[in-house]
Amino acid sequence: MSNAISRRDFLKVTGAVGAAGLLAACGGGSSSSTAAANSAPASVAAPTGDAVELSISWWGGESRHEAYQKAIAAFSEANSNVTVNPTFAAWSGWEDTMSTKFAGGVAEDVCQVNWNWLYNYSGNGQTFIDLNSVSDYIDLSQWDETVLNTCVVADMLQAIPVSMTGRIFYWNMTTFNKAGITEVPKTLDDLMAAGAAFQSQLGDDYYPLHLGGYDRMIMMVFYLESVYGKDWADPATSTLNYTADEIAEGLDFIKSLVDNHVVMPLPTYYGNNGSTAAHQSNEWITGKIAGILEWDSSASKYQDALDDENKAGFTVGEEIKFGDYNGGFTKVSMGLAITQTCQHPAEAAMLVNYLLNDEEGAAIMGSECGIPASKAGLAAAEAAGAVDELVNEANSKVMAFCAFQLDPLFEHNNLKADGTGIYQEVFDTIDYDGVSGAEVVDVLLDGMESVGYTINA
Amino acid sequence: MKANNAPAVGRTPFQKWCDKYQGLFYLIPWIIGFVVFKAVPFGQSLYYSFTDMNFFNGISEYGLMNYIEAFTSDRITKSLITTFQYSFITVPLKLVFALFIAYILNFNIKFVNLFRTVYYIPSILGGSVAIAVLWRAVFRDDGLINTLIKMLTFGAFDGPSWLSDPDYALWVICLLRVWQFGSAMVLFLAALKGVPADLYEAATIDGAGKWRQFFSITVPMITPIIFYNLVTQICQAFQEFNGPYIITNGGPRNATTLIALLVYQYAFKQNEMGMASALAWIMFIIVCVLTIIAFTSQKKWVYYSDER
Repeated sequence: MSNAISRRDFLKVTGAVGAAGLLAACGGGSSSSTAAANSAPASVAAPTGDAVELSISWWGGESRHEAYQKAIAAFSEANSNVTVNPTFAAWSGWEDTMSTKFAGGVAEDVCQVNWNWLYNYSGNGQTFIDLNSVSDYIDLSQWDETVLNTCVVADMLQAIPVSMTGRIFYWNMTTFNKAGITEVPKTLDDLMAAGAAFQSQLGDDYYPLHLGGYDRMIMMVFYLESVYGKDWADPATSTLNYTADEIAEGLDFIKSLVDNHVVMPLPTYYGNNGSTAAHQSNEWITGKIAGILEWDSSASKYQDALDDENKAGFTVGEEIKFGDYNGGFTKVSMGLAITQTCQHPAEAAMLVNYLLNDEEGAAIMGSECGIPASKAGLAAAEAAGAVDELVNEANSKVMAFCAFQLDPLFEHNNLKADGTGIYQEVFDTIDYDGVSGAEVVDVLLDGMESVGYTINA
Repeated sequence: MKANNAPAVGRTPFQKWCDKYQGLFYLIPWIIGFVVFKAVPFGQSLYYSFTDMNFFNGISEYGLMNYIEAFTSDRITKSLITTFQYSFITVPLKLVFALFIAYILNFNIKFVNLFRTVYYIPSILGGSVAIAVLWRAVFRDDGLINTLIKMLTFGAFDGPSWLSDPDYALWVICLLRVWQFGSAMVLFLAALKGVPADLYEAATIDGAGKWRQFFSITVPMITPIIFYNLVTQICQAFQEFNGPYIITNGGPRNATTLIALLVYQYAFKQNEMGMASALAWIMFIIVCVLTIIAFTSQKKWVYYSDER
């Protein structure tokens, strides 16, 4: 791998740095997409035993940070010539940081990546290496081929799936009990009844469920899949499978949840929290919003945020069937990828293998990144008793219920981003202006088309 | 350039050359930093503003499309209007407030140094997560401000929904910056100290009251500092980023999406560096024009003591 810095690379990096610093000098290179769409994976140089420095980055909460750092320390102890430098933070703003690093070619050697990043930032294979080229150091047989195939982009295995995930309801039963409800909602009628009970028993400030803009979009897709029995879009071509009328019906479904006091209106949430994430909001912490629809790996983040009175009531709910089909999708939760700029891909692959497959490493990581997709990793985590019961319960329910697939454009930043995304714009419009789904469906479709969806509606 | 007093006799040509340009060597670190982090990106951004540059897709088109879109897109024109609103609210309020406090702190009152320090503290807090938490707590629906409004109106009014109502959210951001008036206040305070006391004595003998003295002596004498504060505050206001980013993230419904935040969103959320560069240049031109207007107008209202 060449270390030479081309004029374009130099311009790219200085441009990125200048833009970040000045906000008036937005630059970047023009040729990153042409870097390396490898046609066939060539084996990388074998480890020499010389001193090697690697870097790794991830996002997450405190417990994940601790697990990664502990595992890295154990890896360095077992491989005394390898020093691993970590970079980590919470999710908020993380994608902006990483996309800039990817564009500038200065991302860490090993990166925890979101699934859609492979398409958005390495669609031609320009950012991550083909992990088949380091298969001597990563035991790829520990993953089902179908799972591995989800990370094949541009004919390259660009990441190793850490876990599979989907969304499920979590309820704060302490508040539900105060409202006179003793069982988690299992049907749409239960949800509607909970809305009425919360309002009458606890007052206007209490809601059974909170959904932000992106959460509402996911809930709407759950509903439509449940009613119509088809994927939101073709996973391979991102061709939308729903008509405008069907989507308008889905939007009206979400509106009905707001109108019936099931879901907190967005203006009410903003009025008390601005742009604060739900688990950091006073309403969640104190139980005024008593439910969320979240990833199965997020259980502990939401449980830990609750105050002492409410923590004990945190419960994994049931998936709700809104129609004739089991709605909801599963996807790769996150992956580990090795960047093209990594100078020691063999050692980096050893690190990935240690974190995901190794008996010791996988036991330390446990279920901090979700239930391990690696068979060996799962066995090691289970043997060490490191699989969180809540996460395990949530994941089991998701995997048993959700039958549909997600397309990679669904999570495009232009659609899902807080504050600027189309999803939020659509649901803000419904809540602020009280309009129907039919009146905003075109905004959604136009936004989707602008990021590459094929719309036949 | 005369570098030092060393005798030139017996020195080699290289040593003489070094003597002559010694000063420049000291400047090299700054020059490198300026070129790499300012001049090159500055020029690059101008170039990119005429392209559809995307971080990951590169450039495929050249032209004025970004500038055309900037003035035809609802999102961008709304952001530009919001930025003007923000600036025209924040700058005068901040200057008046800073001058008012500085005027009070210019009197010989007890604990004046403590007050000066306390009033300056908000300025050094800047835009941090802690400030965002504080500001949200103050302005939330049942926060401090609305509680005060309710108390003062004996429960007749609940107060507006500051953070969720697009008509009020901009005020939350404006008031944050007005609250951080310490830097302007310190400059005003220094200027007030420089106003000759004999002018006030003469005015008092002539029967001028405090208000008359303030508007006829104090204000004219400190107009250079008012002018300086005006120009710097305009520049800062048009580049405001932290407030809307940390408190509202541009919401609700883009009511606080100032142009600097929009540049960030285009650049780092959508990776559209071409459009981000064009917006940055539009922002730059606006600030330049306003600064030129301010400099042109100073002949009519700024008094310099060395002028007749």
